[in-house]
Formats: sequence, structure tokens, C-alpha cells
Amino acid sequence: MGNAVIRFDQVSKRYEGGHEALSQLTFEVAKGEMAFVTGHSGAGKSTLLKLLALIERPSHGHISLDGQSLAKIGRSGIPKLRRSLGMVFQDHRLLMDRTVFANVELPLVIGGIAPLERGRRVRAALEKVGLLDYERQLPASLSTGEQQRVGIARAIVAKPNVLIADEPTGNLDPQLAVEIMGLFAEFQQVGTTVLIASHDLPLIKRMKKRVVVLDHGRLVADVAAEEVL
Amino acid sequence: MSTPTDVQPPTRSERSHRRPVSSWREHHSWSAGASLRRLASKPVGSFLTIAVMGLALALPLAFYLLLSNAQSLGDALGRNQVINVFLKPDQVAANAQLLAKQVQQHDGVANVTLKSPQQGMDELSKMQGFSDSLHALDDNPLPYVLEVQPQDGLSADAVGHLVDDLRGMQGVDMVQDSGTWRQRLDALLGVGNRAVLILAALFALAVLLVVGNTVRVDITSRADEIGVLKLVGASRAFVRRPYLYAGIWYGLSGGILAVALALLIEFALVDPVARLSQVYEGKLHVGGLPPWLLLAVPIAAAFLGWLGARLVSAWQLRRAA
Ligand SMILES: Nc1ncnc2c1ncn2[C@@H]1O[C@H](COP(=O)(O)OP(=O)(O)OP(=O)(O)O)[C@@H](O)[C@H]1O
Ligand SMILES: [Mg+2]
Repeated sequence: MGNAVIRFDQVSKRYEGGHEALSQLTFEVAKGEMAFVTGHSGAGKSTLLKLLALIERPSHGHISLDGQSLAKIGRSGIPKLRRSLGMVFQDHRLLMDRTVFANVELPLVIGGIAPLERGRRVRAALEKVGLLDYERQLPASLSTGEQQRVGIARAIVAKPNVLIADEPTGNLDPQLAVEIMGLFAEFQQVGTTVLIASHDLPLIKRMKKRVVVLDHGRLVADVAAEEVL
Repeated sequence: MSTPTDVQPPTRSERSHRRPVSSWREHHSWSAGASLRRLASKPVGSFLTIAVMGLALALPLAFYLLLSNAQSLGDALGRNQVINVFLKPDQVAANAQLLAKQVQQHDGVANVTLKSPQQGMDELSKMQGFSDSLHALDDNPLPYVLEVQPQDGLSADAVGHLVDDLRGMQGVDMVQDSGTWRQRLDALLGVGNRAVLILAALFALAVLLVVGNTVRVDITSRADEIGVLKLVGASRAFVRRPYLYAGIWYGLSGGILAVALALLIEFALVDPVARLSQVYEGKLHVGGLPPWLLLAVPIAAAFLGWLGARLVSAWQLRRAA
């Protein structure tokens, strides 16, 4: 497939002193595709995403992102790779002593964007997640779902081609979870490639997207969007 | 590829914002602001750090001030330096005048005053307690005295040679040189100068350590934030920059505080030094802190703060990586 944005080729990961968290994993995600990675706890979902963001390195195999081999990226190249990725975390990883605006602004500051342009883009991102009125607040004064949406705004503000999310709805009530997943689907609709790790099977089924199922680090099923019941 | 937040491709201005120079500027202004916010977020701790550095740097400045005043005191006294040449009692007025002329011709001599025994007697009789006992004397026992004023700025060695020459002259009984104390003072001031340099070096080291430790604690307490910055793509330089700025702010503030303290000390010294100056007929020039030093101290302190932060953050962030 020529248009694969994410490509795993015979990838294995063994943590130091641990068993194999991923073994011989091979799959691709096409440009503009949205896919879920699911499986029971400890199946290797987070590990898969960490390999993509170079938080961990594979023990074997080959990973490429946007046609670029991750093995060729050294320590000094990691920040650039991460700037090209939007990442959302279950625990949202916000700076609690900075305002919502400052949190969302962060990737743009790192990207060296001028203040005026930053303001414009931050507001566009906050509007997208429905938090335009919250820009001056501290994350602590927001609800869990709102905090998660701030995390999503931060992930999309620099307009990454690829968005990855690890349990983005992990501690949200079902209604909110559906809303958040809807947001990701919207980004897919404008061309962003989206990969989400989640164990919330009912929610995943509802979204009618491709599902990659892991079990003990092995790929056991890869269900295309049309086949999701 | 189209974009999620708004579907337009990057505009021209957007692309130009990515130029390295402007991104460098954005990074620095953000880091400078972020570091100031951090200092302000814990005002007591920041103030204590700055106060410790201010005091540490003020100490060598205070010593410098005392020393330069002692030096100018020595200079003022040195200008009054007189070598008294006592002639042998058998010398008559003509001989004394001839000798005075001879001495006047000597290289290092600025001025020679001849004092007759009678003048000496008159001076003594003006002093309290002496007049009665002087009346008891039949003869004037005092010899002719040449008061020799060496030229200004003559080195201690040259004065020593002059004294030797005077001692060797015919008809000279005794030479009293008040210059030895001056030599001692010079030697003492030399030791003092060296001590100030060593002190300054030690306290500079203290500033380095204080800033280094403050930054170390700061980095440790901000491990989460550093993790987040790295996850959203911040380079090591970007993560580190606010700490370097913090080091600069600490150093600069400490340096300014030190200068302010030193000026306060200088101000406190003005009165007593002025009184001392009166005693020496205004010949004593008050040695204040030179303007270049007032400027150099904050700049040097800022550099030290930056250096301390740089050393510690390099080490600390590598460990955190
Ligand atoms: N840093 C680590 N060091 C050692 N072992 C690890 C590390 N991180 C994960 N593992 C192990 O790797 C395996 C896969 O973990 P991973 O976090 O990828 O699972 P997961 O599918 O995300 O699970 P969950 O649904 O609970 O988040 C687990 O057995 C886990 O114990
Ligand atoms: Mg996980």
C-alpha cells in the first residue's frame, strides 16, 4: 500500500526484564484513516502508541511514519517527530499551573509561531472542542471531560497529520465519551490519520471504524470499518 | 494534506513565521517570560536566593571600598612624608646652608627646608609641657635640621636610596625616615588586595552554587512539566532555556542588590571619611566604587547565574531524560 501513514513491520517489543509486550506485529494505517487498537489490559495497546512517538524503541522489526523510518531518528530528532504527531493521553498531561490557553498554545510556542498567529490558532482549536470561553481558566477548575478536551485541543492545534490517543475516554461518562470520539471522527473527516487505543468495546462498535485487536502482544483480529457490527 | 482546525493551507504569513530567526525570538521571549513567572510564583524562595547572593557579592565590594580608602589615606599621608636630616652639633649656619643646597640638587628631592636650632627651640616651646624645662637650659642643645621632602610618587626603593645618600653626607649626624611605615602600609594593602581577589573568587563560586542548587531543586520539582514539554515535542534546549533565564535573573538581581548594599556602605562611610579628610587638609580623596565596577558586578553575576544554571540543568536534564 503506497499511502500508508503508519506502518508496523514484524515489530516486537520486550521491556527490560519483562516478557514480550508486542510480538511480530504487522499492520498499516492508511492516510486519512481512523482506526482503534483494542484488547484486554496488558495486551500492548499503550506500548504500540509509545513506539510510534518514540517514547520506547522496538526490540525487533521496523516502524515507519509518513514514509520515514523511525529507526533512523536519533535522540536529537525525537522532538521534531513528536511535533508532527498529535498525542492525547488518558491522564491528559496538562500543565496544571498554566491556563487553558497557555496549555493549548504550547506546541505553537515550541514550533516558533508568532504570538498573534498563536492566538488565532489556539482559539480555533478551543472552538473546535467547545471550550472557547474557558481559555483563561486553570485546568484544575475544569471537569475531567473538559480537561480531556483541552488535551485534544493541544494535540490538534499545530495541525498534525497524525493523531494518536491512548484511552482518551478512559474516565469519562458514556455520553461524554461518545462526544469525544465524535471529535476524533471530525478530524478524520478533514484528512487527519487517527489511531486510538481503547478497551471500551461498546463505544468502539458504535463508531463503526476499523478495529485492530491485540492479545498478549499479538494481532488477533483486524476488522475493517464496514465489517464492524 | 488538509488540516483539522481550519481547512485552508498555511498562509504566506504562517510560513514566514516559521523562519528560524523569528522562531528563535519566540522561544526566547517565551522562556524569559516563563522563567520570570516561575520566580514570581514563589516570591519568598526567590527573594531568599537573591538576598543570599546579594550579600555574598556585597562582601568583597565592601572590602574593596575599605581598601581603596585605606590606600588613599596612605597616599595622603605619603604626600606629607618628610625625611628629617639632623646635622652634627658642630655644624655652623654656613655649612648647614651649603648642605641644604647640595641636598636640594639631589634627584628625588622636591624641597628642602633648613631649620635652625633657634627655630627648633621656638617650635618646642610652643608645645605644652616643654616650655618650663626648656627655660632651665643654658645652651640650645638642638642641631640644625634639614626637612627633606621627597618628590611625589617616588617609590619606596628610591626613597630608601635617598635616605642612604643623605646618611653618607658629611656633617650629617642622623637621618629619620618616616617612610618605613609607608612601606608597611603598602605591603599590607598588597595583602588586602590579594585577599579581596580571593574573596571575590570564593563568593563568585558561592553564587554559582546557590543558583545551581536553586535550579536543581526547581528542575526536580518540575519533572512532570518537563515530561509534558518533551511529549509535545520540545527540544532539550527549549526545556532548558527557562532555567538558564532564571539563572540570569537570579544573578542579575543578586548583583544589583550587592551594588545597592555596597553603595549604602559607601554612603555610610562618607561622613567619617570627610572628617578624616579635614584632618589632612583635604588631601584625602574619598575612594568610592568606580562606575565600571557598579556595572560590571551585576553583569558578572548574571553570567555566573547563567553558568550555574547551565551546568546544573545539563546534568539534571540528562538524568531526567
Ligand atoms: N515500562 C515498562 N516496563 C516493563 N514492562 C512494561 C512497561 N510498560 C508496559 N509493560 C508491560 O508490557 C505489557 C503491555 O503493556 P501496555 O501498557 O502496552 O498494555 P495496555 O494494552 O496499554 O494495557 P492497559 O489497557 O492496562 O493500558 C504489560 O504486560 C505491561 O506489564
Ligand atoms: Mg494502556
